[in-house]
Amino acid sequence: MSDLSEILAALRRNGVGAVLIAAQIALTVMIVCNSLSIIQQRLDRAKRPSGVDEANLFTIDNRWVGPPSERSARLQSDLTALRALSGVIDVTATYNVPLRAGGENGWVTMKPDQQPVTAWNGTYYVDDHALNTFGARLDTGRWFTAADLGFVPTPEQKFPGVAVVTRSLANALYPSGNALGKSFYYANFPMRIIGIVDRFEASLMPLGFGEAFFENSLFVPQFPLLGGADMTYVVRARPGERDAVMSSATKTLLAVNRARVIKKVQTFSDIRSEAYRGARGLSLMLGTVSVLLVIVTALGIVGLTSYWVGQRKRQIGVRRALGACRTDILRYFHTENLVIAGCGAVAGVLMALILNAHVISGLQVAPMSPAFAAAGAMILFALSQAAVFWPAWRAASLPPAIAARGA
Amino acid sequence: MSIVGYYLDLALRSLRRNAVLAALTVVAVAVGIGASMTVFTLFRALSNDPIPEKSSQLFTLLIDNWGPRAAIPLDLRLAVSYADATALLQARRGLRQSESYAINVTVTPPDPAASPISASGHAVSADFFQMFDAPFRSGRPWTGTEDTSGAPVAVLSAQLADRLFPGQNAVGREVIFNEQSWRVIGVLRPWDPQPHFYDLIFANDDVFVPFESALAHNYNTLMAACNTPPPGPSAQAKKASDCLWVNFWVELPTAASVRSYSQFLENYTAEQRRLGRSYGPPPAYYLYDVRGWLTRQHVIPDEVRLATFVAFGFLVVCLLNAISLLLAKFTARVGSLSVHRALGASRLDVFAQCLLETALVGAAGGLLGLAAMLFGLKIERLMLGETLAPLARLDSGMVAITLCVAIASTIACGAYPSWRASRVPPALHLKAQ
Amino acid sequence: MLQMTNLSKVYRTEVIETYALREFSLHVREGEFVSVTGPSGSGKTTFLTIAGLLEEFSSGEYLLDGVDVRKLSDTQRSRLRNEKIGFVFQAFNLLSELTIEGNIEVPLRYRRLGRAERQRRTREALERVGLAGRARHYPAELSGGQQQRAAIARALACSPRFLLADEPTGNLDSLMARGVMQLLQELHSDGATIVMVTHDQELAARAQREVHLVDGQILDLGARLGAQGAVQLNLQPGT
Repeated sequence: MSDLSEILAALRRNGVGAVLIAAQIALTVMIVCNSLSIIQQRLDRAKRPSGVDEANLFTIDNRWVGPPSERSARLQSDLTALRALSGVIDVTATYNVPLRAGGENGWVTMKPDQQPVTAWNGTYYVDDHALNTFGARLDTGRWFTAADLGFVPTPEQKFPGVAVVTRSLANALYPSGNALGKSFYYANFPMRIIGIVDRFEASLMPLGFGEAFFENSLFVPQFPLLGGADMTYVVRARPGERDAVMSSATKTLLAVNRARVIKKVQTFSDIRSEAYRGARGLSLMLGTVSVLLVIVTALGIVGLTSYWVGQRKRQIGVRRALGACRTDILRYFHTENLVIAGCGAVAGVLMALILNAHVISGLQVAPMSPAFAAAGAMILFALSQAAVFWPAWRAASLPPAIAARGA
Repeated sequence: MSIVGYYLDLALRSLRRNAVLAALTVVAVAVGIGASMTVFTLFRALSNDPIPEKSSQLFTLLIDNWGPRAAIPLDLRLAVSYADATALLQARRGLRQSESYAINVTVTPPDPAASPISASGHAVSADFFQMFDAPFRSGRPWTGTEDTSGAPVAVLSAQLADRLFPGQNAVGREVIFNEQSWRVIGVLRPWDPQPHFYDLIFANDDVFVPFESALAHNYNTLMAACNTPPPGPSAQAKKASDCLWVNFWVELPTAASVRSYSQFLENYTAEQRRLGRSYGPPPAYYLYDVRGWLTRQHVIPDEVRLATFVAFGFLVVCLLNAISLLLAKFTARVGSLSVHRALGASRLDVFAQCLLETALVGAAGGLLGLAAMLFGLKIERLMLGETLAPLARLDSGMVAITLCVAIASTIACGAYPSWRASRVPPALHLKAQ
Repeated sequence: MLQMTNLSKVYRTEVIETYALREFSLHVREGEFVSVTGPSGSGKTTFLTIAGLLEEFSSGEYLLDGVDVRKLSDTQRSRLRNEKIGFVFQAFNLLSELTIEGNIEVPLRYRRLGRAERQRRTREALERVGLAGRARHYPAELSGGQQQRAAIARALACSPRFLLADEPTGNLDSLMARGVMQLLQELHSDGATIVMVTHDQELAARAQREVHLVDGQILDLGARLGAQGAVQLNLQPGT
């Protein structure tokens, strides 16, 4: 470290170059640390299981063409035909599925007109086949039976009084546990919990109800043909037979009755990849820029240090003449870089934390831990020391005779 | 002007002499510009003003008709209730006004062999077309009378008209929506405002029908926010409820008309409160012009904002590299520059000379960056979803912006090195140090 | 103490072989003041860089204080330079970003001396050359003569076995040059061994012994009066 005061003196003279390198390192640390933190969280989020048997499920977005009075019967014949297909485990009809936009969302309370609400949730109107079709896991209690489905809504009582909820919603309503059999209110209508499903993600909403919303799902046993001609069929195929069933399913429906529009047929893998396309795109973009940034900064260090070596050839020769051996020269440049990169890394950590504070509110990610930022800074610092080695070695290998001969 | 020509000549020679350094600088600029402008293309497209002639004269509004005890907070509400929209429409306090909601119909094509197709659109008021400058290819919008009487008339998009009636004029023809007969009275030219400001969620418009006609035919709403459940699932039930499902837009051409409309809204909401309805405390109304609405709806997703910021951070780092390279380059020229000075060039001459050289580097970097962008945009299009992918396109405006940014930023980088170079003493005789 | 025997330095390109030094021999004893003269291109600088262990030679032998320098590693050479040789360059070669004091300390730092010791030696060296008041100044603030004296102080600080001076007055006006020469002669009378390379005949005459180089070979012009110790005459006929 005896070079240190000499280096500080030299840096004061070559201020601009030092500032350039320090600034590059700081910016790189700032961006790379945040990017990696966001990427990790987004990718984690994109891997979360939805709770359904994704590998074997596909959806058919169907719209009937014909008088509304026929729709109830047509629904039954469609379901019967699909369920009869070979390779099919079960079929259900619904309005929305996890990881796709659409459907109904609402809130639950412990009493009517409760302010604020206890929790936000997604709502699925389901029949008795839905659990088996989606392949979700029922933790305790029971699913709906055909008897539960016989309910007729009135203005006074819109829903049947029984409901199945996910574990997450049950905990929101009854944090101490034992939610089974207990009651709550949905849209100010009383409901009783008869079953708890382990995990079932709600549909996507364009508005931000917050992350907690996605795991709160409420299942209501009903076939409320909500005045529309649209219905989504969810088909669960036997493992390995999904694609075969997909091609025969459409034909089967058209054979039952041509008067319909089949708007879209999607596998759940498609649904998942579309749902997280934005997250993947952002991760890819941030990752690419991070890699490029590191490369550009490293090259910048190599370049600027080589330039300095070129500028200081004579001085390097003089030092060698005065008794510096090669490692002394090497150490000189590494110490110089240590000071610059050290300042840059420290500034970078501060800037990274500030940027992170701005980012987390908008993007709904968790804050990055300072240890993460420090780790990123240290890696970049080590990288800059590695980058400076080649020009420093070239400097150390300069013939001492330069002092007498000139460059 | 011949001195500029001379400088150009000197600059080109100097670039050739230090070709490696020049090339590295050009590449540094190009990489930074290419990456940042690729991302910025998306940002720019999303922050586009879809109707610049009128964007400060078109307003949408929200009315708090639920009061403070409502579960859904204000910033998650997107529309107004049928009662409010109809009252405002009939009051006719703006220059023009339109209520609308998104619909989706099954179209039975005239060709009996063709299968039915699903078409999206909006149920709107008569004023809609003139308010939003929707361009007609043939035919006309419906009149006010046709509006209120619920006439079964429709305006089609160019794409749908060409699909249903290829090669013919669709005006006057009959179309089957949901197995009922409608008459086409107009066909639009291709029209796709970016962003689709008047309804950011349902952005495909092939069909336009009068608002009341859609309700009369029971076309259901595609989205509604309800504080209490409506009496039933149908559109008629929604009419009677206090659910929010109607988009209301009004044209207010002057600041005075904006003020008077605000006053009208204030009186309206006060009247509702007086009638005992559960409207929120003043102000229970919120007016947004086009840009304000786009901002409120986060039309630029936060992901894109972050990506843009990161991309420009990358550009800055590349430019910092460019500064180092330019410093090195001009230092290499110190000898020749000092001779120039000795022969009569002033400091300003040397400065201008060096700055011109950096401008050339910037131009080269910008061109190379544009080439990189073509590649980058292709990748970006693959990464984006259906809605955003078409925005990742290079238009002439973007080309101009890219070149200007490239040259301007490189010149900014070159300012300090050029200044340093201009301070070279006139004859670098062998001084001690 | 500095003994070169049949030293040759050859620069080889694809086409030509150039002898910068050809069968060059020189023996400098303790306390001598030797000048090495010759026209430009005669090999003076090559002799200097070899003598200063800044460069290697093609053939021959160089013993420094009895140590055969061919066997030394780069680290050993560096140490030897630091401990035994004090350089004075034509271009002064002071480091512009350091103060005079800082410049003088540079070789002392490479010697790994402690702070107190460095400061003591620096002070002594500065006093010896008459620059005590300029310790905190930067080289750019000193005149040419003062800079050269500072360089001499830097060379002295390490207590070298001999001073190796390359055109020490080449960049100075006659007044300053006289001052520097006077200093060198004072140092010599105090017992220093000095080897000075110059093209200036008048300057060379001030030394105790002159050695004349032409085309890499030596022409010894004999001793001067007042020499201490024995003198060796070596006449090498051309080949």
